[in-house]
Amino acid sequence: MTTLAMPRRWQLPGWGLCLLLALIGELTYFTITTRYFAANGVPGILVLAEQFAPTGVLALGMAMVILTGSIDLSAGATASLTAIVCGLGLEKGYNMWLCILAALLAGTLVGLANGLLVALAGIDSLLVTLATQFIVTSVLTSLAGAEPPFNFSVTFQGLGQGAIADVPDDVLVFLVLGVATILIVNYTTLGRSIVLVGFSQRAAQYTGVATRRTLASVFTMNGAFAGVAGVLLAAYYNSAQPDTGTILLLPAITIVVLGGVDIFGGRGRIGEVIIAGFLLGYLSQGMLIEGNSSLTITMVTGLVLIGALVLKISLERNFRQALAVRLQRLRTWHPSLSRPD
Amino acid sequence: MTMAKEAEPAVRTARNIRRGPDLARLASRREVLVAMAIVVVIAISTAVHSYFWSSANISFIFADSIVVALLALGESFVMLGRGIDLSVGAIMGMSAIIVGFRIQNHGMTLLPAIALGAAIGIALGLGNALLVGVTRLPPIIATLGTFSVYSGLEFVVTNGNQVDTIPNSITNLGVHTVMPGVPILLVATLPVIIIAAFVLRYTTFGRAIYAVGDDAEAAYRAGIPVQRILFSTYVIAGLAAGLAGVVFLIHTSGASSTTGNTDNLSAIAAALIGGTALTGGRGGAFGALAGSVFLSATLTALSYVHVSDIWQPAGVGVLVLLAVIYDSRGNAVRLPRPHRRSPKEGRPQ
Repeated sequence: MTTLAMPRRWQLPGWGLCLLLALIGELTYFTITTRYFAANGVPGILVLAEQFAPTGVLALGMAMVILTGSIDLSAGATASLTAIVCGLGLEKGYNMWLCILAALLAGTLVGLANGLLVALAGIDSLLVTLATQFIVTSVLTSLAGAEPPFNFSVTFQGLGQGAIADVPDDVLVFLVLGVATILIVNYTTLGRSIVLVGFSQRAAQYTGVATRRTLASVFTMNGAFAGVAGVLLAAYYNSAQPDTGTILLLPAITIVVLGGVDIFGGRGRIGEVIIAGFLLGYLSQGMLIEGNSSLTITMVTGLVLIGALVLKISLERNFRQALAVRLQRLRTWHPSLSRPD
Repeated sequence: MTMAKEAEPAVRTARNIRRGPDLARLASRREVLVAMAIVVVIAISTAVHSYFWSSANISFIFADSIVVALLALGESFVMLGRGIDLSVGAIMGMSAIIVGFRIQNHGMTLLPAIALGAAIGIALGLGNALLVGVTRLPPIIATLGTFSVYSGLEFVVTNGNQVDTIPNSITNLGVHTVMPGVPILLVATLPVIIIAAFVLRYTTFGRAIYAVGDDAEAAYRAGIPVQRILFSTYVIAGLAAGLAGVVFLIHTSGASSTTGNTDNLSAIAAALIGGTALTGGRGGAFGALAGSVFLSATLTALSYVHVSDIWQPAGVGVLVLLAVIYDSRGNAVRLPRPHRRSPKEGRPQ
């Protein structure tokens, strides 16, 4: 780190605030420019969030993985897999909750496999998940077959399309999982180990943190989160296409990084990730309503990611340097030196 | 850092270089191992299906591997510098589309097409290079962002159209062979790979890439312009991807807005199998070629034993896992390497 002893979790103050202001600005902009965006008032705007809630859930799991300094490229494919597992079960007429459980189990197992490979074999997570992504894709394509499952029971669709007190179920799941993630990361031993492992794996190991167990758990949790995302996707679209979750991988990583989580681990706040999820989600929803194609939105997402990071990094660097200079002056301050400069 | 014992030192000492090739070391080189693996795959497949050893099939395997080989070559430069470029597939797609439209609608000939492809590759590679080398974004994030941007651009440029009528004078290059089993494409690509290998092995620039990838801090202290070296690796990756786009046109005689979206990962896989480490400072140019020929041969062999295309990605995945597990033999018990940090950190103020 820098030569000065900075507080460990020190960050650009109010990055979350920047995101929040951007979110408010964006909502205002779309409300004014696009007639359909706020046609149904606040509930209407909340319903728009249904579409990107699964991406948000995926981002929450990914945020924990990235906090440890790892990355999971297989999360999107895992979400697809769980959507298909759930869909196949429903098509065969099994109990809905049984299917959901099976889907979550499938996700958790993939996560566990990733975790064990990363933790025990000591291989870079990028490589492990690159490989498991390929494998999972093959498995799910062969499971889905020529005709992927679709048209589920009304009760199951209700999960993806229903609402409790105007808040759609998907969004509710996203928010509840978001709060749970905040609690896990900030207030549990596991959560603090996640951040410490990300900050310095070596330091964590010497401090007596079970780094391997932490890594394995974080990937397993991410698998479970991907499972939830997959179930939500199946319920929302009323079908389970092979690419339904795979295409969400890049947006999910973008959300995490936009949310201020350091890609090398150890720094980041889940709350900011949640705000970033809404920011990016409403951006794409607004642009879709304006009539842009999804690929144009992908492009804008990429530009937002790069722009935000360049801004953040340059701000942090300048701010830190300014602060360092000021602290240095303070330390070497002597009355005889205090002449105006 | 403690490397695995069998790994070749990243920067060899002067005495090592003078000693010349030695058989034991040659046999343990990854390129040689992969080449032997290719022979084994071909031998087994031929034993099962005698048609596998036909000039048409062997030539197809080579021709099919060239696109990924070029992508993996560029990716190797980046990975040797301890970076990663997730946008090479999209750069290839852009090059294939723009060049394809010029050929299809304006009758562009081959040589200008190659020049245009290279120029597009360099221009888009410069985008990555600026983000990583100048604004110092983490490479994985910067190239993830440019991947989104470039693949969006592909859609904007095509406007929903696709390239589908490439004249025979150009596509013939993908079919014709110099001698049975050796396609023109391979012969045309070999010089590129040899030049890349020469640059990496015998020029100051090449050795500097290894030094930066092995330990950016040490390289910085040794007076190597770290950021400038990193900058150029991304430009080179762009150039290679631009050329790959032209080869893609020759080989498949078409391109659409989704061209190249999945080739990033194949390129990384081929480089990894060829022995280029993601942790920088280890690998080489021939590894990229060997890795992609191996991938192509194995996937073709799988289709010969009636394994459905669906399982091809799984095959690639298993091969990547095997390659990296092979790489990390004996590493599991010791402390893992510290995470990649930008070279800026830890530098004296």
